[in-house]
Amino acid sequence: MNNLVYLIPLFPLAGFLINGLFRKSLNKPLIGIIGSGAILASFVVSLVLFFQVKSNGALPVEALFSFINVHDFKIDFAFQVDQLSSIFLLIITGIGFLIHVYSTSYMHDEPTEHFGRYFAYLNLFVFSMLLLVMGANFVIMFIGWEGVGLCSYLLIGFWFKNNNYNYAAKKAFVMNRIGDLGFLLAVFWLLAKVGTVNYHDVFTAESLAKLTPTDITAITLLLFVGAAGKSAQIPLYTWLPDAMAGPTPVSALIHAATMVTAGIYMIARSNVLYSLAHVTQNVIAIIGIATALLAATIALKQNDIKKVLAYSTVSQLGYMFLGLGVGAYTGAVFHVMTHAFFKALLFLGAGSVIHAAGGEQDIRKMGGLKKYMPYTHLTFLVGCIAIAGMPPFSGFFSKDEILAAAYARSPILWGLGVLGAAMTAFYMFRLYATTFLGSFRGTHDQEHHLHESPAAMTIPLVVLAFLSVIGGAVGVPEALHGHHELHHFLSPVLTTEVAPELGHSTEYGLMAVSVVLALAALLFALNKFSKKPELGEPTGFGKVLANKWYIDELYDAVIVNPLLKFADFLKNVVEKSGIDGIVNGVGRFVQYLSRQLRLLQSGQVGNYILFMVLSIVVLFLVFWNQAIILQFLQKVF
Amino acid sequence: MSLMNILLNATEGNNAANYFPIGVQLIFAIGFIATMMIATHLLGPKRKTADKLENFASGIPTHGNARQPIAIKYFLVAILFVLFDVEVIFFYPYAVNFRALGWDGFWKVLMFVGFFVVGFTYIIKKGALTWED
Amino acid sequence: MNAIILSAVWGVIMMFSSILFKNKGAFKYIAAIGLIVLTVANIANTYGCDFFNINTHEMLRYTRFGLFFNTIAFLCTLIYVLLSGKEIEKHGNYVAEYYALIFFVLCGVSILTSFNNLLMLFLGIEILSIPLYILTGSDKRNLKGNEAALKYFLMGSFSTGLMLMGIALIYGGTGSFQIDVVRSATLFGTFSGISFLEVAGLLFMLVAMAFKVSAAPFHFWTPDVYDGAPTVFTSFMATVVKAAAFIAFIKLFEVRIADTSAVINWGMLLSLLIIATLLIGNITAVFQQSVKRMLAYSSIAQAGFMLFAVFSLNDFAKEGLILYAVAYSLATIGSFAILAKMKDITFEGFNGLAKSHPVLAATNTIFLLSLAGIPLTAGFFAKYYMLASVVKTGHYLWLVILGVLFAAVSVYYYFRVIQAMYFKEGDAQAEDVTPGFKIGLIIVAALIILVGIYPQVVLNWLYF
Repeated sequence: MNNLVYLIPLFPLAGFLINGLFRKSLNKPLIGIIGSGAILASFVVSLVLFFQVKSNGALPVEALFSFINVHDFKIDFAFQVDQLSSIFLLIITGIGFLIHVYSTSYMHDEPTEHFGRYFAYLNLFVFSMLLLVMGANFVIMFIGWEGVGLCSYLLIGFWFKNNNYNYAAKKAFVMNRIGDLGFLLAVFWLLAKVGTVNYHDVFTAESLAKLTPTDITAITLLLFVGAAGKSAQIPLYTWLPDAMAGPTPVSALIHAATMVTAGIYMIARSNVLYSLAHVTQNVIAIIGIATALLAATIALKQNDIKKVLAYSTVSQLGYMFLGLGVGAYTGAVFHVMTHAFFKALLFLGAGSVIHAAGGEQDIRKMGGLKKYMPYTHLTFLVGCIAIAGMPPFSGFFSKDEILAAAYARSPILWGLGVLGAAMTAFYMFRLYATTFLGSFRGTHDQEHHLHESPAAMTIPLVVLAFLSVIGGAVGVPEALHGHHELHHFLSPVLTTEVAPELGHSTEYGLMAVSVVLALAALLFALNKFSKKPELGEPTGFGKVLANKWYIDELYDAVIVNPLLKFADFLKNVVEKSGIDGIVNGVGRFVQYLSRQLRLLQSGQVGNYILFMVLSIVVLFLVFWNQAIILQFLQKVF
Repeated sequence: MSLMNILLNATEGNNAANYFPIGVQLIFAIGFIATMMIATHLLGPKRKTADKLENFASGIPTHGNARQPIAIKYFLVAILFVLFDVEVIFFYPYAVNFRALGWDGFWKVLMFVGFFVVGFTYIIKKGALTWED
Repeated sequence: MNAIILSAVWGVIMMFSSILFKNKGAFKYIAAIGLIVLTVANIANTYGCDFFNINTHEMLRYTRFGLFFNTIAFLCTLIYVLLSGKEIEKHGNYVAEYYALIFFVLCGVSILTSFNNLLMLFLGIEILSIPLYILTGSDKRNLKGNEAALKYFLMGSFSTGLMLMGIALIYGGTGSFQIDVVRSATLFGTFSGISFLEVAGLLFMLVAMAFKVSAAPFHFWTPDVYDGAPTVFTSFMATVVKAAAFIAFIKLFEVRIADTSAVINWGMLLSLLIIATLLIGNITAVFQQSVKRMLAYSSIAQAGFMLFAVFSLNDFAKEGLILYAVAYSLATIGSFAILAKMKDITFEGFNGLAKSHPVLAATNTIFLLSLAGIPLTAGFFAKYYMLASVVKTGHYLWLVILGVLFAAVSVYYYFRVIQAMYFKEGDAQAEDVTPGFKIGLIIVAALIILVGIYPQVVLNWLYF
């Protein structure tokens, strides 16, 4: 029965191979069916396994084959499906499937070949993501980790004829690679000290005893560097907004719902290590909240519908890291889940809007879409409410769990978190109001073109909206007379979870403050932008925000340009006159020698024979005086 | 030094010492020729005229270059003559030892003659000896 | 004895076939049959079946090594005849005679691989050389060919003179022509026991052999002769003949150079020759504009590598020499066969060959890679064995390093041809390339790769 485990990654791999190899001979409906069907099949299997896990606990580790086997160092290509990974499997395959279905309609204008390429990449991404969460050791996770990075690169640069998109893809890849280096070093460190990378072996008291506190801090910090790269945290977050160059469903799947949460998965998976490293926890919490606030401020002044959502994603990821930092692992995973629902919904809704507006992404040229696209409008509104944290929508439960845990650690963290939540409510409703309310501000042609999207796009929206509404039900805290089933479900894996010891009254108070503040921000935004939807040119501080705090420029000035200068120096000076000089010099010397030696070949037999006779004389002399010559040579050398 | 050594060793060693008289003779021969040439050069009367530089052709005036092309057939015949002539020479020692070598020698010479005839047949067939084209 | 007698007899048969058959194309097949007969007879001889049991009074002695080389030489000649037979037919009306001369050369080769007496060595060298003088000048109307033949003859005579001088001196020193006796008389190791005449004689022999294998500084004839001779015959001279000369060289010096004492050390002399040969061969080849001349210089460079075998003289060296003979002969025969088909034999003439004749370009690339000693080709193992033999002697490691450096230089000029074929624009033209020719080339290339992957396929025959 457990052979089902293999099937989960097998379907997307098969889909990738079929769509990738035969993309020229298949037609679009077939490609769509294969691509989506593969994920659906995986989803069904995941569901079966989920219920198995739910009733019987974690499945045993399944080793497919021995991956690396050197002496006593052994790494199996093994899969592990436990509570944590089964949740992620459902998110990946479930939302993945919806997005695949959505894509069949969204990408319909592409030529068949590129359509096939798109689905092949998407399937490959799902395959890699499944490897990432199913791997039973850090090495398999790393394979998946790199795989999703590659797919992300390929999909961001999907429209590779636009150079800016290629730059965005490159930026994402390089930023991720910086993080990956940290991950890799952590794995090496772990191998050197513990000698194994299997989760089962590493997270035992016996293995942990081999690690000094310094080791643990260093390993966890390095792992966090990896997570920061993949999950777009300060200082490696700048790639994510640029990654919006990819097709919108890709943004929904990779850059909102799944891949960017890999970092959270990794840290939650290693919670045993992290709970032993308080320094790292504090670092994570601080970076998490800082990212949440920074991204939220930037999102306030963005005018590109996808950019707003991108910064919102960065900000929400910050919340998740805040949760991890304060030990609320369940909260973080819970937020990953709810965020996957409503952010995928928002992105797909944005995609629907862009689709309707003929590729227009600037919210200053939208408005009044409410009457043209009712389904999109309604589902988008649900998403906005969910992300703003209004009860009883899903975002409320997960966000408040994190904030409560943060309060238990430090009220300052909580205060900043609530501020961020208020800003979230503000910019989301700014987006909502300028897009859907008021009257249309685009050109006449665009207005003529506006229409509701086809069913293949609206049905996923509706499903996701439904999930966004009820998704919080699995984590209703006890304060609200719930059972928090997710917490119980995950507790075998997240063994070091610290439940905040707050009285119910405190919890009520905290919820009330955050909800009221968010509601106020929401209403203010709604009020402000539905009356006066024209967004002027930002001035003063707003300009700083609109320009993303000039972080990209700062990186350019501090890191990129000096590196480029140095590379230029190496290229123009060191290589051209140094290395090339030596290499070409040898070549030129040989050529010169060749030209000179060639002259020996005069073509005159007399000369030749003279040379030969002279050589014979020399040979005789050398031969009879070799003892002397040898002595001489020995003296010289 | 070692060159000297080897010369010394050579003389005191094996039969190389026997070559000493030959060396002396060689030196004497060269010395004699050199002495004679120098002597004639110094002692003989000299008369330098342009006529002395002319080619001497038995008193007949020269006409034209000696390097005129001659038909290849002359050379061919000459060379083939030399070849077969030399082969014939082998018959002389055989003739002298005819009785001593007996039948065994006879068969071997017959084989030699066989090769000989084969070569002759070949040049005849190839037309090496046809004078007229 | 089989090989010696049958090759001479088949040479005569070839001569007479010119009278019997008027069709030029027939000779190629008669020659091929002869080569097959020779190969079979020689293999029979190897396994103890000698058809002509003649008492040579130990002047000839058959060894496994020599007989195996005979087989290789005959097979290489067979491949050569089948590949380049068409080209031979283009050179005048004496096609059968050319084949006859090739058979006489093979007779010389057979003597050189089995001589046990200095007179036999001399005889072998002469039987080998004289037909080559004629083949060099076979294109009577080509002035360059005539010049080359005359030069070859003049300088060959000079080296013959040196060799005779050497033999005479050795005879003077030891009183014998048998190399066994020559060896035993000199195994003393110090000057006191050694005869001056003998050592001087050996030095002359060394020079004469160095001339035959075109080792610098006695290589001067090589570029002029290889360049001037018709390409087909250059191919033969540069392969089978040269390898045979090396076999003779190694046989002559087999025991001799092993005796390294403080006073007499042939290593120094040979290392001088090796350095000079590698330097002149490789460096001069760099500047050549004609592929044919480049290959001539490259053959000098390859000779430098083969000299390593004479230098180290151990089991590795002998195995390596056999392997080298195979690798080098196959690659050179193939390369020259393609060259002979080319309209323009300069580097420019090869521009864009990959487009017009992909098979020729691909196989030529394999041949050149093998000559350069790139792994997965036979040339790699050949060079490897050579260098390994020197490493095994334990001294002269710098010689190995030098060898590797020069091998790197050689890559430059071999790759120039590959570059011209694949990466330059042009319309390289090759004449009458038949499907059979292409198949032949592919077979040769496949053999090179086979030996490059599994050299034991050749070497095992030395022992079984």
